[in-house]
Amino acid sequence: MASELRVNTLKDASGNNSIGLSYVAEGTAKAWMSLNGTGTIALRDSFNISGVVDNGTGSYTPSYSSNFGNANYSASGAGGSSNSNANVRLNTPAAGSQDLETRASNDGSNYDEAYTRFTATGDLA
Amino acid sequence: MASQLKVDTITGVTTAGSIAVTGEGNSTTTNLQQGLFKMWADLSGGGTPAIDDSTNTSSVTDVGAGERRINLTNSMSSTNYMVIAGMINDGNSGGARGAAGHHLGTQATGSVQYKTMYGSTASSDGNLTDSHTQEGAGIAGDLA
Repeated sequence: MASELRVNTLKDASGNNSIGLSYVAEGTAKAWMSLNGTGTIALRDSFNISGVVDNGTGSYTPSYSSNFGNANYSASGAGGSSNSNANVRLNTPAAGSQDLETRASNDGSNYDEAYTRFTATGDLA
Repeated sequence: MASQLKVDTITGVTTAGSIAVTGEGNSTTTNLQQGLFKMWADLSGGGTPAIDDSTNTSSVTDVGAGERRINLTNSMSSTNYMVIAGMINDGNSGGARGAAGHHLGTQATGSVQYKTMYGSTASSDGNLTDSHTQEGAGIAGDLA
């Protein structure tokens, strides 16, 4: 049977390592993905990602299954394996999605990244 | 009324590894286990990297100049996890730097390897570097 527990603070059984539930709720990643961005793109694994649009070379838009409350969330990305100068550029966020580009830092050109990683933390709607 | 729960382990009722947490907007839930970073580490950079603070790390291996391998205490279930890495851009004499998860062939269930490197400069395009003082990495995904 499903159950619901309402508490403000968690501690270990010894009464140490206290953490407020606000930190649990606010501090956990609300979405993340590891994407194969080459060829026909495919999610390797993800959380709270409903799908990813391939916008062209090195340009992707992951959408969230459960949206953020606004566009003021924190996000980060990383590339690697397909380009020795891998970088991820995050464009203007939206509550329901985040445009990003994998691009080479040495010349600024977009490229398709086999291991495109992205994570977002903030307040869900 | 304020409440406080003292426990060592939290386990889901329907599925042991799945606990829902109500989101900040009170209209949806997020999965606690999926949202937790399964590894994070703050390392002193330089030629001999050292872990200053971390969770779920057993050691760091200095693979070579600008290349680390963080070994996990509890392994991931597959190599499909998400990893991010970054570095402080200090002691910079070669131009802007960035960091990237690299050599995904060595992204194993029990360890993750990444490089720290310069960004683009006239003299250094993506060369590996140890000349910084702090870096960090994190993993989200499924534990074994």
